Amino acid sequence: MDAFWIILTGSFVSISCGLLGSYLILRKMAMVGDAISHAVLPGIVIAFLISGQRDSLTMLVGAGILGVITTFLIEFFHQKGNLQTDASIGVTFTWLFALGIILISVYAGQVDLDQDCVLHGEIAYVPIDLWITASGKIIGPRAVFITGSVMIIVISFIAIGYKELFLTTFDPAFATVIGISTALWHYLLMGAVSLATVASFESVGAILVVALLIAPPATAYLLTEKFRPMLIITVLLGILISISGYYLAVSIDGSIAGAMSTVAGLLFALAFLFSPKEGIIITWLKNQARKKELS
Amino acid sequence: MILYKSALKLFLAILLPGVLLFQMSCSNNQEQNLVKDRLNIVTTTGMIEDIVKNIVQDSADVTALMGPGVDPHLYKATQGDLQRLKSASLIFYNGLHLEGKLGDIFKNLSRIKPVVAVSDNISPEQLIDNTSMGGQYDPHIWFDVSLWQQAATYVSQTLMQHDSLNAAFYQQNTAAYLEQLDVLHEEVKTKMAEIPEDQRIMVTAHDAFEYFGRAYDIKVRGLQGISTMSEFGLKDVADLVNFITEKKIKAVFVESSVPEKYLRSVVEGCRKKGHDVSIGGILYSDAMGNPGTVAGNYQGMVRENVNTIVNALK
Repeated sequence: MDAFWIILTGSFVSISCGLLGSYLILRKMAMVGDAISHAVLPGIVIAFLISGQRDSLTMLVGAGILGVITTFLIEFFHQKGNLQTDASIGVTFTWLFALGIILISVYAGQVDLDQDCVLHGEIAYVPIDLWITASGKIIGPRAVFITGSVMIIVISFIAIGYKELFLTTFDPAFATVIGISTALWHYLLMGAVSLATVASFESVGAILVVALLIAPPATAYLLTEKFRPMLIITVLLGILISISGYYLAVSIDGSIAGAMSTVAGLLFALAFLFSPKEGIIITWLKNQARKKELS
Repeated sequence: MILYKSALKLFLAILLPGVLLFQMSCSNNQEQNLVKDRLNIVTTTGMIEDIVKNIVQDSADVTALMGPGVDPHLYKATQGDLQRLKSASLIFYNGLHLEGKLGDIFKNLSRIKPVVAVSDNISPEQLIDNTSMGGQYDPHIWFDVSLWQQAATYVSQTLMQHDSLNAAFYQQNTAAYLEQLDVLHEEVKTKMAEIPEDQRIMVTAHDAFEYFGRAYDIKVRGLQGISTMSEFGLKDVADLVNFITEKKIKAVFVESSVPEKYLRSVVEGCRKKGHDVSIGGILYSDAMGNPGTVAGNYQGMVRENVNTIVNALK
């Protein structure tokens, strides 16, 4: 049963992250997940300073608010300042992280307070982190419900706004012409990204989220040229990564998040070498054939 | 296009069965521990494991999740650790946020499973709170042997409750262990008194020794706060250099879990001011030494630390 809960949580996280990540890599914003993982620090410190508590819920609220602010600022600098997306991400998360460090040094140096300690969960704890009602009834692992609801929200968001998201990602000018607000849909997308990442940090930890946000969509990108198949392959890869990563971790008694991220990287390497579209080997064969033709 | 599609199918068709086969080969080697009459006790830190082992002796299985040299703040559970926690009949942890988020999970789990924080029966007045927030206690309680005795008593009470058949045996072992700790407490006190009063100042990399300082009458100053995220500023270094030079402190101490280079800058600073301060040695702070070495058990760890401190400051 433990294996089932862990793989289920992993799959939920990888599906919501992978779907959103597909849009992010096309918008050259893949590193936004890493940015959010750092930028939530001041949110955690302020939540602690206000409440004097370090429990998960308080930290989640603080981190959630800062996550939204981070993505909002990234999008804002990009749109209003005409700044490149990578520069916008870099500027936003470094100063927010620095702000968090200064807040800790000034107000909370004597308290053990950082994301790793109070916010980031660990996917290995999923089966023991139970949701227990006041009467002592065990409903099930907390993370399964959190990541499951996030996945439903993300899927409905993409299903409802598929056309708008598609157009604003690929051809913002055309979208504007036919009356779709590019700015609005970009902010909505970024809002969904911050919700999904912060909730997933709390359930499974940062490394896994950052990896799942980028590796499966990047792999799918190498395997297909169309957007809809890319989303479908991303989802399948996410599930595959959760299953095989878990059993890899079991066989070596290692970190589950680490094993899942490793599998994600391996799958990317396989696609990079053997992709029928732009894989290294296919390209090489094609070049050889061309050389033969010319000689 | 057709070629490309079939190639894609081939790619997935090779991959999926391969992974499934791999899983099946792995799921066979899950062992199940079916011995029921022995208690299976899991602790977080080695220091708690030491208490439990001394009380139950060989009558139960005891495992610590965090081995020698593991910083509890940075500990990450493996798949095996999860199995250990799931199969445990009793779990002991330190509490006071030493285990971070895992502590939260334990607190929740304690409603349906015997999971006990050893710091639970120590009254708040005996705990150190250096913040202005209230309720944010320093978790490093094991450095005051008398507090650690309270933790041991609590562990023993819990064990007797859950295993009443062996209660008498536990009682007897606990008494012996507490007596050893009494001796240790007195020993540390006399040893520390050997240091001249004006030299009784201990400079460390981060604040883990507040309880030690309070119990054994030595001033403690750390370069960093408790959180390793609160990076020290240049002013912290300068202040500490002035402090050391002014009080003519002979030695500063490195901890096994904090990089040595932090304190090196302080030592260099003092040298420039004409005061020669040495690095007095490495102290065990959040984890014990390797099993088999002197510092591989709780009492040995405390003795090693005290020897290091006394030899450097005497």
